[in-house]
Amino acid sequence: MPPDNGGYMVAGYVVTAVILVGYAVVLWRRSRSLM
Amino acid sequence: MTQPAAAAPIVRRGLLLCAVALLGLAGVYVLAIAYTPVEARQGLAQKIFYLHVPAAWSALLSFSLVGISSALFLWLHDPRLDRFAASSAEVGVAFSAVMLTTGPIWAKPIWGTWWTWDARLTLTLFLFFLFIGYLALRAALADPAERARFSAVVGILGMLLVPFIHLSVYLFRTLHPQPIVLKPSAPSLPPAMLQTLLASFAVFTLLYIGLVTVRYGIALLEEAREAADAA
Amino acid sequence: MRLALAIAAKDIRAELRSRTALLSATVFAALVLVVFNFARDPTALAAIDLAPSVLWVTFALAAMVALNRAFTIERENAALDGLLLAPVPREAIFLGKLLANLAFVGTVEAITLPLFVLFFNVAIGHALPGIIGVTALATIGFVAVGTIFSAMAVRTRFAELMLPVLLLPFMVPPLIGAVQATARLLADRPLSEVMGWLRLLALYDVVFVTLCMLAFPAVVDE
Repeated sequence: MPPDNGGYMVAGYVVTAVILVGYAVVLWRRSRSLM
Repeated sequence: MTQPAAAAPIVRRGLLLCAVALLGLAGVYVLAIAYTPVEARQGLAQKIFYLHVPAAWSALLSFSLVGISSALFLWLHDPRLDRFAASSAEVGVAFSAVMLTTGPIWAKPIWGTWWTWDARLTLTLFLFFLFIGYLALRAALADPAERARFSAVVGILGMLLVPFIHLSVYLFRTLHPQPIVLKPSAPSLPPAMLQTLLASFAVFTLLYIGLVTVRYGIALLEEAREAADAA
Repeated sequence: MRLALAIAAKDIRAELRSRTALLSATVFAALVLVVFNFARDPTALAAIDLAPSVLWVTFALAAMVALNRAFTIERENAALDGLLLAPVPREAIFLGKLLANLAFVGTVEAITLPLFVLFFNVAIGHALPGIIGVTALATIGFVAVGTIFSAMAVRTRFAELMLPVLLLPFMVPPLIGAVQATARLLADRPLSEVMGWLRLLALYDVVFVTLCMLAFPAVVDE
């Protein structure tokens, strides 16, 4: 029986998405204000 | 002689690449969560591997390219190289942040501790600090020519520091035998895992290219704005 | 490289005349040692176990303080500008600055070491030649990168913050080497165990002195 650590997986996936999507959005908004 | 008109298509192209890459990331998420098998000893937490390892690749790619374009800039004096180095550094911070967060989140259930000074995590921490130092120096220098030259020197020195960090941390750690830990990546991956991992590498590489392109375009726009303000 | 020696001599003379930087760096190092004494639980850890770490953290911090001062003086005097106008090879200027900084930091270390022996009651005599050697090698590494970074940091608004942020990652490999070598020397380990670390220190020095010397023109020339 594999250990019950799904919470960590969720945390990792959420954090990654927040950082990468968040940075992309920040760049997008910066470009919008400059163009 | 910056051309704001030329910058806009670069930004748009970059944003398109990012959008495609982020969609790809969503696809990788689905693959990793639903398609790959659950590792018997490590459980679901093992699946962070599909994000952590490609993020490491992207962070290292960002860093190497900062170093290489810094060296080329000092040789060729082409401002495009400096702009590219700065863009790559900022994008590198994002990928390093992913590594530094997913690393401990993965380590805690697998190794029982949030942090360990193993070669990989330690190197990531150093990359992060080197990126930050590079960007802090750029922010603190007003003259563009000085900014470009100085940060290029830091970029090159930083790139050459990496093998020394790796070597000294490795030597340091072999003196202090760590408790036996579960090896996070199996020696030979079953096909579903390998395919997902490769797909993730492709997505992260595409995301790097997209983000750097957008950031480069923004750098052009900012230079044009500065020139217009000065005029 | 007689020019480098001349430049170094000039800087050293200037520093000896004012002496403020030397004194403040030495006092700083002594205070760090005092802080370390109170920052540990003497019943939990023997002084000898912590000794290499305490010594090297103190040396590293003192080197940083010294390097900051060195280029601040430079900026105040604008002496560098005069030197740059002359057809002096930039590599010579770098080596001159490096030697002067080494003399400065070396002096601070030479005064700090006996204080360290005193405060922490560490028997150092049997290992002294080795420790001097390790200190020389590691300090060259610190100061080579520190010289070029302080030349850059001095042009920024927050030079005192900028230098540590840039320099500390670069001080880690020499620091690791120095602490490991010092620990072994103090424990009277055979030379073979120390050699590996000495080689690491020497390699670092060769690579970074060369690199910083080659990169120096990019920092001082337009």
